[in-house]
Amino acid sequence: MQEEILTEQSARVNIYALISRILMNEIDEELLELILKDENILSFFPNFQKWDKRKSMSNKDLIERYLNVDFTNLFLLHLVPYESFYMREDQMMETGGENPVQKLYNDFDFRVELDQARVMAGDHIGVELEFMFKLCEAEYRALEDGAYEVASEIAEIEYNFLKEHLVEWAPMFLLNVKSEAGTALYFDAADLALEFILSDFEYLSKLKKSDFKHLAVEESK
Amino acid sequence: MYLQSRRTFLKGAAFSVAGVAIAKGVFATDAVAESVTNSKFTNTPDSISFYPDQAEWDSFKELDGTDWKRGGIERHGVRSAENPDGIQVNDYTIVPTVCSNCEAGCGLTAWVDKETMTVRKYMGNPLHTGSRGRNCAKGYAVLSQMYDPDRIPFPLKRAPGSKRGEGKWIRTTWDEAMAEIGKKMHDTLKVGDEISKKSIMYHVGRPNENGFGHRVPHTMGLDGYDSHTNICSAGARQGTIQWANDDRNSPDWANAKLIFLQSSHAADAGHYFQQSAGLIADARKRGAKMVVIDPRMSNSAGMADLWIPAWPGTETALYLYLANRVLHEQDLNGEDLVNHEFFKEWVNWDRLMANREYIEKHMLGNGYISKMPKDDSYESFIEMIKELYSPYTKEYVTKECKLEGMEHKLDALWEMYIDAGDKIATYLWRAGPIGHRGGWMITRAGFLTLALRGALRGDIGGTSFHHWHEISVGGKGDKATVAGERPPKVDVWNEIAWPPEYPISSYEMSHIMPHLLMDEEWQQKWIKKGLKVPQKLAVWMPRMYNPVWINPDGFRWIEALKREDKIEMSFNLSPTWSETNWYCDYILPVGLAGERNDQQSTPSKPEQRIEFRQAVLRVAAEKMGWKAKDPARATLEAHMKYGLGEIWEESEFWANIMVHHIDPDGSLGIRKYWASKKDPSRAVTVPEYFDAAMSLLPRLKETATKMYPTEEFPVYAYMRDHGAWTEKTNVYKPQEEELKVDANYVYAHGKKYPKHEVKKDKFGALWVEHDGREHSIGLVKDDKILAGFHTRSKKLEFFSEWFAEWKWPEYAIPVYPRNEKELKKMEHVVTQVHHTMMKGDNEFALNTVFRLPYNIHTRSVNSKHLMEISQNHNPVWIYTKDAEKLGIKRGDAIRVNVTDTVSGLDSGYFVGMAVPTEATRPGVLACSHHAGRWKLKDAVNIPGFEHALGIMGVGAPRYDMTNDGKIGTLKPAEGIQKRHAGHNLWQFKEFNKDLDNIWWDGLSGAWQNAVAPSHPDPIAGNHAWHLKVVIEKAQPSDKIGDIYVNYENNFKVYQAWRDQLTRPLDHNDTERRPWFIKRPAVPLSKKAYEVHIKA
Repeated sequence: MQEEILTEQSARVNIYALISRILMNEIDEELLELILKDENILSFFPNFQKWDKRKSMSNKDLIERYLNVDFTNLFLLHLVPYESFYMREDQMMETGGENPVQKLYNDFDFRVELDQARVMAGDHIGVELEFMFKLCEAEYRALEDGAYEVASEIAEIEYNFLKEHLVEWAPMFLLNVKSEAGTALYFDAADLALEFILSDFEYLSKLKKSDFKHLAVEESK
Repeated sequence: MYLQSRRTFLKGAAFSVAGVAIAKGVFATDAVAESVTNSKFTNTPDSISFYPDQAEWDSFKELDGTDWKRGGIERHGVRSAENPDGIQVNDYTIVPTVCSNCEAGCGLTAWVDKETMTVRKYMGNPLHTGSRGRNCAKGYAVLSQMYDPDRIPFPLKRAPGSKRGEGKWIRTTWDEAMAEIGKKMHDTLKVGDEISKKSIMYHVGRPNENGFGHRVPHTMGLDGYDSHTNICSAGARQGTIQWANDDRNSPDWANAKLIFLQSSHAADAGHYFQQSAGLIADARKRGAKMVVIDPRMSNSAGMADLWIPAWPGTETALYLYLANRVLHEQDLNGEDLVNHEFFKEWVNWDRLMANREYIEKHMLGNGYISKMPKDDSYESFIEMIKELYSPYTKEYVTKECKLEGMEHKLDALWEMYIDAGDKIATYLWRAGPIGHRGGWMITRAGFLTLALRGALRGDIGGTSFHHWHEISVGGKGDKATVAGERPPKVDVWNEIAWPPEYPISSYEMSHIMPHLLMDEEWQQKWIKKGLKVPQKLAVWMPRMYNPVWINPDGFRWIEALKREDKIEMSFNLSPTWSETNWYCDYILPVGLAGERNDQQSTPSKPEQRIEFRQAVLRVAAEKMGWKAKDPARATLEAHMKYGLGEIWEESEFWANIMVHHIDPDGSLGIRKYWASKKDPSRAVTVPEYFDAAMSLLPRLKETATKMYPTEEFPVYAYMRDHGAWTEKTNVYKPQEEELKVDANYVYAHGKKYPKHEVKKDKFGALWVEHDGREHSIGLVKDDKILAGFHTRSKKLEFFSEWFAEWKWPEYAIPVYPRNEKELKKMEHVVTQVHHTMMKGDNEFALNTVFRLPYNIHTRSVNSKHLMEISQNHNPVWIYTKDAEKLGIKRGDAIRVNVTDTVSGLDSGYFVGMAVPTEATRPGVLACSHHAGRWKLKDAVNIPGFEHALGIMGVGAPRYDMTNDGKIGTLKPAEGIQKRHAGHNLWQFKEFNKDLDNIWWDGLSGAWQNAVAPSHPDPIAGNHAWHLKVVIEKAQPSDKIGDIYVNYENNFKVYQAWRDQLTRPLDHNDTERRPWFIKRPAVPLSKKAYEVHIKA
């Protein structure tokens, strides 16, 4: 039973890691190679898998001539991948410490290295997803150690973060990405992220019904 | 099903690498939390106010700006031993001072890092009610000037055996320099005759202080002060003097309904620019309109509601057209548009009407009017001037100002002008009045339009005069000295400053100083007529001035400065290298904005305010407990101790050289004015002197005494800590202030006059006799005695009676030629670049006098910051269609040949880069004379000093020069070099670590000032800047920046303007100048004014 829980948790950790990375920065050759080599990962990108251009040029060219161009278009120029843009009436970004998401990170003693992330504020889609990745990872460790109460607490935090933040705005943004994407990779990535976030929220909602007790949920299956 | 199966996502568990290897990893848990909790800093400041409360200025902690960029306190915490990667907290002493980069004197604060004792930044001073905490680019540039890598580190002396201009220098000390200069001055003054009192000349550039500089020659009994004003703004001042006997006007921008600007200066570059611009913006936000009259589309004109590109120098006609309409038209209710209530009460129409001889001889005689007025009533006056101004019709002004096709603009101007009522604020300054012969008449006519509408009353939103809005006490620290009182008036008249050809010049004829010194024929002529004309100067001492470069006819300056028989000794009190320094005997490096001690006051709004510029490192060090060894040299000591170099400033320098070198034993009677009352063995100190001077302000003294009960110098302490003080606000209609009268006395101008000695004339003016002269002290209106204006009549003078008496009767009222015949006859008020003088397609008027908002005349070259933002090669603007006609394209090099319309002589040419544009009017070129700096060497080596001293390394390219006494040339040799760290960089390394980022070559235009001959206006005396030019495409061998000057011809041009246009003093004259018209700087006695000229 614990193994199943850990498997599911491991999947959550990995998928949050993957989508946070793809939606945060331009893809690099290493990551592209990983995606292409790992059939499990590649299966999350069905259109990209079939995309002609991918097959007709080197990864480097693919990145420089198509993927980075699309990333720039989607995340730097035309769309605004920040929660505050979607949530505030005035559509202004809050780049300082007063950003509510930033405050939330601070409450958990997490510091976002914005310079390393190369984003303007902590409520960037990629950063929020990486925050979920960090939480899931912590939850995984707790479950591994049998510290179920800690795991429950963490799961509750995850639920609340999704409910109050990501689910509130990320679907809108990701639908926009799907609509604007010029490459199959980012179309698929947006689709994956959208589906996964909603699915994960559904999962956590179920967990909530049993007060975030993982074992209880497993038993009820 | 839309949603994928949850089970699909479980594939994620089977990734070949763990998520941690995929994630970017942008979260870190770190050790900063504690430092954040324990600090006062927050990620987002509670307030966006730039400035802490003044109470915190002595010790204010702030996060380091560079570090802050890493992401704020929540991510990095505060730097400490435990958290070495945290953000640096700087501990500042914030010392207020005043910008010195233009006349506006905006407040600054220097943020002195207590740890390194360096200034880390200059910000504004929120306590300065004029600048309100704001500054322009020049203000923030003070830091880059302070730590200029080519800052002169110590006093330099021309190497013994070398000639002026050879560029050989040795290091000297302030004490050696003071001893040598002091001895020369002592020996000169010891002679004690009239010539000796005319042989030392203090030549001051932008003074940026109120009276201290005047005190220097005054205490030595010299008529020896040359200001720069006659190349700056003296034309406008002349018109103001005639109207109000005041130096300049002072508008209430913030409350005006119409911002009325001729040339752009108040809003984008010039007089009190940054403060005025802010107030103008406030007014416009409230709905005020702005009109800019300028041949060039300045930044202000571009943003104005109306831009009228009148032909330069013809604006008088435009204003008289407005006067004509105001006089003849009525409003919708049928009421007169003339504000009779004001005009009748406060304009001296009554004196004109009483002077029927003048009306008959000069107004009727010159055809200004066709018949004598029937009586001397106000109504008859109005009827008379209706006729006087009726020829200035729309058709006439369209033709005269060359506004064909733009007639609609005249209608728009009229609407704005009338709609604003008496709320019209103006500054008629610079390009118009200083650019042209007779430019002063532009101010005369402009003020007439304001007076007719009541806008010169000085009421809310209108225009007043500057002396009511300014406080000058910088020269009045006498109480701190042994003398305890001001020196007596000076008894001599210096013909080099005020030649007999220019008795009513607004300011000194400083721009022809070298011409007068070298014009022996002129000297002999006046010597034969009985005047004691100096034929040489013993000591010439410019202060923060670079006349070689900025004055017209620069090669003449070089010739004169090289002549050791004409100028026996010279030293420049200069913060920077300059073209003038190159030809001096000593270069004495003095301070910039944060390194000086000056009282300043700027009339930028209707209030009375002073600012205190101070040496911030000295003040910061003293606040931290440091004490100078010699309190009279504290500023010098502080600068040397804290790594700025041997940088001094005038207030301490002059006190020390006077006390210890010029008059060490007091035998010349000078020492007592500079020795400390507290300790007569030494010079007066900055706190002693300025405390005494600024204590003359009663409200300031009262406040400071209460606030600093334990300080020895409470007023000084207040100004040291606050930097600015507003003595009085809402200074409106000051001429209507009632004079105090009691049973026995009438009180005026700080004096009291026994009632029985006060006489009233038939026009209501009150007169007293004093020093053998009649002075007017007030004006009776109804039952009250009012202060009145500064004029003799105590009213605004439409009719300048004294001006008529001083040989110019035909121009004693606002007037302008009405036809071609009069254009010739009335040449004194017709510009030298009038459109009738342009005959071919390639002949133009060149508009040279406009400031560039990021340049400080000659001083920006020490600021890397300003140089970087000003690299536009200062092109020659040419109207698009004019360029097309001549086949000139953008970027083409053109020769701009200068020719004089009085003598017909050619001066030579400069080569500029043409830029065709719609932003200058047809027929008029524009090229600012504030760019085109040069140097002859990149650096000089000083014997015994290990580093070469770079010369203007961030702003001036190197040129090759030839000059043989007749022809001078300058050709660019090499642009500015990149200076990699370590190469030729030995001081202020930390500040200049980005010096290798220099990308510009510095070829920012030609030295056009050298090509321009001196055009002394026959009346106002100012140099009339604008030039008639003939342009042609450059020759293949020409380079942009080349100049070729026939300065032998230029000498003849100066002579032609002098001899053909002036009306010099003659044997009928008994005085040098109307004594009641202020002679700026040094007060002269009745004896000095008296003159006897042989027939």
